Amino acid sequence: MIAVPELPAMPTGPGADRPPEERGLSRDGVRLLVSSERGETSRTFSDLDELLRPGDLLVVNESATVPASLPARSRLGPLLMNLSTSYGAALWVAEPRWGPGQPGPLPLEPGETLDVGGVPCTLIAPYPGIPRLVFLQAGGDLAHAMQRVGRPIRYGYSAREFPLEAYQTEFARVPGSAEMPSAGRPFSARLIERLRAKGVELAPIVLHAGVSSLEFGDAGPGVAPMYPEPFEVPRDTAEAIHRARSRCGRVIAVGTTVVRALESAMDAGRVRPARGFTRVYIGPMRPVRSVDGILTGFHDARSTHLSMLAALVGVTRLRRAYDVAAREGYLWHEFGDSHLIFSDPVT
Amino acid sequence: MTAAGTPRPPVALITGASRGLGAVLARFLVNQGFAVILNARGSPALEALAEELRRGGHDVESVAGDVSEGRTQKALRAAVDRLGRLDLLVNNASELGPAPLPSLVEYPPGKLEGVFRVNVIAPLSLIQELLPPLRASQGRVVNISSDAALGGYPGWGGYGASKAALDLLSLTLAHELSDAGVSVVSVDPGDMRTSLHQAAYPGQDISDRPMPEVTVPFWAWLLNQPGSLVSGHRFQAQADRWEVPV
Repeated sequence: MIAVPELPAMPTGPGADRPPEERGLSRDGVRLLVSSERGETSRTFSDLDELLRPGDLLVVNESATVPASLPARSRLGPLLMNLSTSYGAALWVAEPRWGPGQPGPLPLEPGETLDVGGVPCTLIAPYPGIPRLVFLQAGGDLAHAMQRVGRPIRYGYSAREFPLEAYQTEFARVPGSAEMPSAGRPFSARLIERLRAKGVELAPIVLHAGVSSLEFGDAGPGVAPMYPEPFEVPRDTAEAIHRARSRCGRVIAVGTTVVRALESAMDAGRVRPARGFTRVYIGPMRPVRSVDGILTGFHDARSTHLSMLAALVGVTRLRRAYDVAAREGYLWHEFGDSHLIFSDPVT
Repeated sequence: MTAAGTPRPPVALITGASRGLGAVLARFLVNQGFAVILNARGSPALEALAEELRRGGHDVESVAGDVSEGRTQKALRAAVDRLGRLDLLVNNASELGPAPLPSLVEYPPGKLEGVFRVNVIAPLSLIQELLPPLRASQGRVVNISSDAALGGYPGWGGYGASKAALDLLSLTLAHELSDAGVSVVSVDPGDMRTSLHQAAYPGQDISDRPMPEVTVPFWAWLLNQPGSLVSGHRFQAQADRWEVPV
């Protein structure tokens, strides 16, 4: 387990309970708070091409969201099984819950069998140190069960169920994320085209995001509840980062998943091609060296995402930005507004 | 396949299985449908675990005995033959050596021989003995190493040297057996709250070390990787990333 100092609490704003398209906005019509050393400015996401320069590089996560929330039947009665991470066709880490707004831990025992979306499963072991997660062995094809009866994972704050399409980004190509890598959601095909025309380069990684429901405290006091997630940094992307750096372009991560993948692939100060599972924790004690900025959402006060942002720009600057965001009514959560954070002064 | 046409379950053999890391692996594997062959020196703890797993409806063979002795190795081979296959061999049994840990300049050579017999010669002998069934199933060998193999920690020289030797056996065997489809990896499980670790620090409180269950996610990952991708590599079970070649 990774013991880390918890961040001081950050302000929190209202959460978006539905996609912007259901609030009369286009995907790229959400608000964009731009933070640099000089301060905060409020823009619209579709202005992104004006905020970046030719030669900048956006690194995006190509992981696509899967309908990972399955109805389950157990000794305890009906429950929800949110599949977090596939270790192989038949072995998964999952979060059993009573319902979208009712988390566990549930009193399930190793060796116990349950029906998950019509597939007989055995609970293998609790996840060490994180009582809300379990290892699940499937006696059938859970990927197929997801296609039949799975729904996108949602939590109590979302207004209702939305179709899987609402949880896919323009970059989605490789199915595997239990929850949407949401930083990429506001990108429209139109905006991507304008960015490319301007000379902004895009390069992919894959990191399959697991359940996001954990927060500090779920793994014990002073312990970051980190569990490993599959990732891959392709050779072409590692090279694109070196090229951007050598032409003085900025490397901007689209999402915390991208920062985690790139930091996991760092070796002697350089990003190299890498593939595996990572639970690298990025916080104030471990500075971010792979990127010059991040495009992300607004994160809950006790999440490990906030620690990563603090690693990028420091607690003081992060607090300043979150004060502005909360005061000006920016929307939190995966359907909410966006935050572009430059680690260096913007010239 | 049996005569009736039902596939036999995969079989894992774990040495040093009666407690600590070995017992954690045994519980993890049986719940995944493995039949297990458990070996340990101390019979009562071994039988207690075997009974517990059998009560859970699992297929368990237990073989008590010192793994560095030829007759124990033969008995393990006989157990493999009874179950009809071998998919995974975990060389986990380890000899710490004299405790408290002596510095190398004071290390009794006879004791060092004992450490190497259990930690180096026995794993190799077992691999030699079990190669035919491992080959038949394109099986895997996991040799349990230690960060002492690399660290040069004062007091850990005897144990560490034996684990460094085991690491080199793993790497060499991985190359020698790649054509046979048998994969060999070396795993440093990291510091854990086990009887071996306690023996190294007599009288000290080691309760700040995690329980061996902390390694379960790593085993879940490793055993789901294609053998050819991981063979010849050394992994740290408690590291914050596990990688395969790109």
